Amino acid sequence: MPAASDTTSLYALMSRLSRHPAFLGALIGIVAAFSQALLISAGGPEAYGFCVACHTRDLVNGLSNIIAGTSLALAPLSKNAILPVMSVVGVMIGAFLSAKVHKEHKIRKTDYQEYLIYFIGGFVVLQLAMIFGGCPYRAALRTGYGDITALLFIITMALGVIVGTLLMLRQAEKEIN
Amino acid sequence: MATGILTKEVAIYAVPLVTLLIGILIGYLAQRSGYCSIGGFRDYVLFRHTRLLSGYVTLIIASFFGYLLFWFLTPAAMEHFFWAFTSDPLTPVPGAPAGLLPGAYLIFAAIPGFFVGLICVLLGGCPIRQTVMASEGSYKAAFFFVGMCVGSVIFAAFVSGWVVVLMRAIGLGA
Repeated sequence: MPAASDTTSLYALMSRLSRHPAFLGALIGIVAAFSQALLISAGGPEAYGFCVACHTRDLVNGLSNIIAGTSLALAPLSKNAILPVMSVVGVMIGAFLSAKVHKEHKIRKTDYQEYLIYFIGGFVVLQLAMIFGGCPYRAALRTGYGDITALLFIITMALGVIVGTLLMLRQAEKEIN
Repeated sequence: MATGILTKEVAIYAVPLVTLLIGILIGYLAQRSGYCSIGGFRDYVLFRHTRLLSGYVTLIIASFFGYLLFWFLTPAAMEHFFWAFTSDPLTPVPGAPAGLLPGAYLIFAAIPGFFVGLICVLLGGCPIRQTVMASEGSYKAAFFFVGMCVGSVIFAAFVSGWVVVLMRAIGLGA
C-alpha cells in the first residue's frame, strides 16, 4: 500500500522535523518577518516579531495600564493595539498543550531558597535584556535586520555562557574531589 | 510611518490575536525540541553538541532571509531594512532607552549581553526555555517568569530612567 506508507513516512518526517531546533529557528525567523509585514501599521519598533523579555514587559505593563490605569512604558505596537502583544501567553499555552499531549507535564517542586534565586535571576535578566532592548531572540532578529549592536550582544552573550560553563565545570570538579 | 499589509484600524485588533497564534505555534515546537539559545552555546562548549546551537544560528540566518523576502513583497513595512545601510550603523533598532549617543548603545549591548549569558547558563536556560519549563510544571522556572513580570514594572518605573541618567553622567547623552 504505497499511499498508506507515504502518509506514515510524511508523518514520521513531520514528527522528526518538529523535534529539531533548526526547524523552529527557521520558523521563528520567517514568522517574525511576516508578523512585522502584517502588523507594523499599528506601530513600531521594527524587528519586534518575537521576544520573550520585551513581550513580557508589554504584556505586564499593558495590562497594568488598562486595569489599574498606570502609565508604564511599553512599545508603541502594544500601546496602540486594543490589547498588548500576547505571544508569551501563547508560548505558555502551546508548551502546556504539547507537554500534556506528550505526557511530559510533571509538577517539580524544590526548596524556597532556589525559588528566591530563580526569582532574582528572572528579575535581573529582564533588567539587563530591557537595557539592551531585547532578549536573545530579539537580538537574533535584530542581527538579521542589520543591527550591529545586536551582533555585539550575541558575541558577549556567548562569552558569558563560556565563562558560566567553565564556572559550572570547576564547581563540578570540586564536588568530585 | 511604516505601513503593513493590514491598515492601522484592523491591525490594532489583529495584534493580540496574531501574536497569540504565533506564540502557541512557537511554544508547542519549543517544548518538542527543547529550544534554547543559551543552551546551544553551553552544549557546544561542554560536549561539542551542535543540535541546539543549530537552532539559534538558523534563527539568525532565517530572520535575515525572512526580512529580505518581506522587504521584496511589502517594502513599506520594512522601512529600515537593512539597518546598517539605511541608518547610522552603530545605533540600534529602537527598543532600548532612547536619546543617547552610539557609545552608550555599545555599552548597553556588551555588558548586559555578558551577564544575560552568565546568569542564564547558571540557571539552566534562556527566557523562552524557562517559560516552557514553567508550563511543563517546573516551579523554579515559574518563579523565574514571575521575576520577569515584577522586573518589567520596576524597569519601566525606575531602572530605565536610572540608566539614562547614568549614561548622561559619563557624557554619552545626546
